[in-house]
Amino acid sequence: MAFKRKEAVVEAVDLNSITPQDAEKRIILGVKKYATNEANWSRADRNTPYLGHVIGMGIESANLADITMSIERQFLTRKTKKVPVAGSETEFTLEDGELGKLRILEGQDSVMATPGLTLQKLMELGHMPADLAYLEGVASFATSVTVGAGYRLNDALLKTISRFRVLTGPERAQAKANLESLSTQAKDYETLIGDPAALAASKANDFETDKASLTALNNELAIVNEKLKGVTSDDPSRTASLRSEETQIRTRLRMMLQKLTVSEEAVRGAGARKAVDQAKYDEVAQILAKTVRQAQDCLAEAPVGG
Amino acid sequence: MKLQRFLGNLAVPFIHVFLTIAAWRFGYAFRDLAAFRRRAWEALDGHDGPVIWAANHLTLWDSFLIFYAAFPFHKTFVSRRLPWSTPEHTNYYMNGGWLKRHAVRTFMYLCRCIPFIRGGEDEASVRWRQIAFEKCIWVVENGGTVFVFPEATRARNGWFDACQPKDFLGSLCLRVPNAKVLTIYLRGESQVGTTAYPAQGETFRMDAGLWDPATCPGSTARSISQGLFDRIGALQERWFAGSSMLKNCSGDDVVDLGSPLAREHFSDDGAGVDPEWAARLLTPKEAAYLRSRPLGEVFRTFWRFHAAKEAASKALAQAGIKVLPGGFSTIEVDLFTRRARHLPTLLETRLLFTDDDEDKLHCVACLRGGALGDAQNPGDVLWKVVEVPPGESPSETAREACLELIASSSDDIPSSACLCFTEIDDIPRVVRHGKAQDWGVSISHSGRYAACSFMVS
Repeated sequence: MAFKRKEAVVEAVDLNSITPQDAEKRIILGVKKYATNEANWSRADRNTPYLGHVIGMGIESANLADITMSIERQFLTRKTKKVPVAGSETEFTLEDGELGKLRILEGQDSVMATPGLTLQKLMELGHMPADLAYLEGVASFATSVTVGAGYRLNDALLKTISRFRVLTGPERAQAKANLESLSTQAKDYETLIGDPAALAASKANDFETDKASLTALNNELAIVNEKLKGVTSDDPSRTASLRSEETQIRTRLRMMLQKLTVSEEAVRGAGARKAVDQAKYDEVAQILAKTVRQAQDCLAEAPVGG
Repeated sequence: MKLQRFLGNLAVPFIHVFLTIAAWRFGYAFRDLAAFRRRAWEALDGHDGPVIWAANHLTLWDSFLIFYAAFPFHKTFVSRRLPWSTPEHTNYYMNGGWLKRHAVRTFMYLCRCIPFIRGGEDEASVRWRQIAFEKCIWVVENGGTVFVFPEATRARNGWFDACQPKDFLGSLCLRVPNAKVLTIYLRGESQVGTTAYPAQGETFRMDAGLWDPATCPGSTARSISQGLFDRIGALQERWFAGSSMLKNCSGDDVVDLGSPLAREHFSDDGAGVDPEWAARLLTPKEAAYLRSRPLGEVFRTFWRFHAAKEAASKALAQAGIKVLPGGFSTIEVDLFTRRARHLPTLLETRLLFTDDDEDKLHCVACLRGGALGDAQNPGDVLWKVVEVPPGESPSETAREACLELIASSSDDIPSSACLCFTEIDDIPRVVRHGKAQDWGVSISHSGRYAACSFMVS
C-alpha cells in the first residue's frame, strides 16, 4: 500500500557523523510542510517552538506525531537493540547494536518542544554524543513553555488594546475593565518570570497534581493486590479479572510517571536558568512591560464615556 | 439486623473516635464543620420520621467522611439517626488474607453496613440486591436511617450528573412515604475525579439539605429520583461556586478532512492507514476498532478518534489534568458510547460530533459542568464552525467567532466587543467585566476551518 509520506525520499544520516548544528538544520527543514507560520519557520533556530503561532512555527497539534516521525526518518543511530524492561511484556529500551533507523519511544518526545530540545533529548538517550557548547545555547523546556505563555499573553493584551481604541459608549466602559484586568495580569506575569523561585513555585501545582494522581494509582494497585489476596482458589475468573485490572493499573502508572517526569522537569527548569534562558525571559519581560505601558497610556488618555 | 443494630449502637462512639484519629492521621480538614453540623441537625431535629441520606460519590471513604462530617460525637447516641450504609460487597468484603478480611468484615458489620452487589445480572446478584433492598426498607420502616449513593457508583468524570437519575432511591421513597431525604454534597478541594481515597492533607467542603419527596411532582420512582438528583445537582453547583476549580470543563476540535496533510498517511482510496503512524496516535483497542471498520470508513473513523482525543484533552486541561503534547495514546475513545477516557486518571469525557460531513469534522467533549444534550434535549455546550477567510489568521478567526457566539447567546452582553480572550494556566479564558469567566471556552482550527465552543451552564 502506498502512503504519500513515502514519496518523500530522505537520506538518513548517522547522528554520530554530523554536528548538532547540521542535525538542527535537517530537523527544521523536515518539519517545513507542517509549519503554518512561514515567517517564523523561515527564521527558526534551535529555540523556536514547533507549536504555536505567535513565536512558534505554527505546527498544529494534529501533526505532532509527524514531527517525531520526520526526525526518525532523517537519522540513523546505533541504539537499535531492543532490550525488554524487566517486569513488562510490552516495554523495552534501546541499547547499542547495528546502525539503523532512529526510534523515538513513546513519551521520549514529550519535552521535544524545539529543535534544540529534540537534540538535547537525543544526546541524553545516547543517540549522539553530548555537545555541551551546543547545549549551552538551548533554552530549557520550562523556558520554552513559560516564555511562550508570556508571548501569548502579550498578544492577547495587544488585541485588547486595539479593540478598546475603537470603542465608544457602554461597550467602551465594559472593555475598559477587561483591559485593566489583562494589563494587571501581564504585569503580574512580568514580575513572576523575573523571580525564578516564585516561578518554580507556580509550576509546582502541575507537579503536585500529577504526584497526587500517582499516589492515587498506587492506592488502587494496593487495593487490587488486597483483593487478589482475598480471592478463594475456586474462583479463577475473579483472579483473571483482577490480574487484568492489575496490568491496566501498571500501564496507567507508567503513563503517569512519564507525565510526572515532565512536570518535574518544568519545575526544575523554572528555578534554574542558563544565560540563554535568562535572555529569553528578559526579552519577553521587556515586551510585556512595553505593552503594559501602552495599555496604561491608552487607559489614561481616553476617558470612558457612556 | 436487630443484633447488628444493637452491637452497632455499642460500637459507634468508638468508631467515631477511630474516625477522628484517622482524619487527624491523614491530615484531613473539614471547612466550617460546626456550621455544617448545626444546619444538618436543625433540619434533622425538625423531622420525626425516618431519613434517607443521599450523597455524591467520589472515593471509597465517602461513607466514613460524610458520617464524620455530619455526626458530632454526642449525637452518636441517637440510634435511629445513625445511618446504615450500603457499600459494594466486592470492594470491602473480599480483601486481604483471612485475618484482614475478617477484621474488615467485623468493622463493616459494626458500622451497620448492608453490603450490595451492584454489578451482574445473574440470578444470585439480582437476588442479593433484592434482599439488600428489603433490608433498607426494614430499616427505614422502623424509623431508622439509610445512607445511599444514588449514582450507585463513583462518578467517573468527577461530576454528579443530575440528568442520569437511577430509580433505586425513588423506589425506596415510594415504599416508605413518610421518609425524608438528607441530600449531601461533600468533596475535597483538590478532588478532580474518582480516586480510591482522598489525597492526604485534603480539605473538605460540604453542603446538605433535607428534602421531602412528597413535594415532588409526580409519584413514580423515576420522578422522585429526578427530584432528588436535581437537589444534589443544586448542592454541587453551590459547591463549585465556592471552589477555585473550574466547574465548566469542555473542549472542541475541528479537522479539515480535505487538507492534503490529513490524507498524508492514508492510501489513495483512504482505506489503508500507515500502521506506524496510527500506532503513535491510537491505543491498541482503538487500532483494533479501526481495523474492523469497512474500508470506506477508515479515514473518517481515524479522524473521529483524533478529534475526540484533542477535544477531550482540552476539557481535561480545564480540570487541571494536562495531557502531554502528543500524548494521545493516554486517551482512549469509545466511538460507540461516545466517551473518551483519560487512562492515567480514568476521567471520562462525553463526546458529541456536531459537524460531520465530507469536508470537516467537529467534536465537542464535556467533562463536567453540564450536559452535551442530544437530538431531543438541547445541551449546555454551544459551538460554531466557520471557514477561515483567505489571508486571515485561523486562530484569530476562531477567537472572533467564539466571542461573537458568546455575545449572541446572551441578552446581557451587548456585543463581542465587551469580551476578550486571555490565557490562565495555559487554558483559554474569556474575560468579561474584567473577570475571567468559567465558561469552558475552547477554540480550534484546522486547514480551512476554525471552530469554538463554550458552556452556558
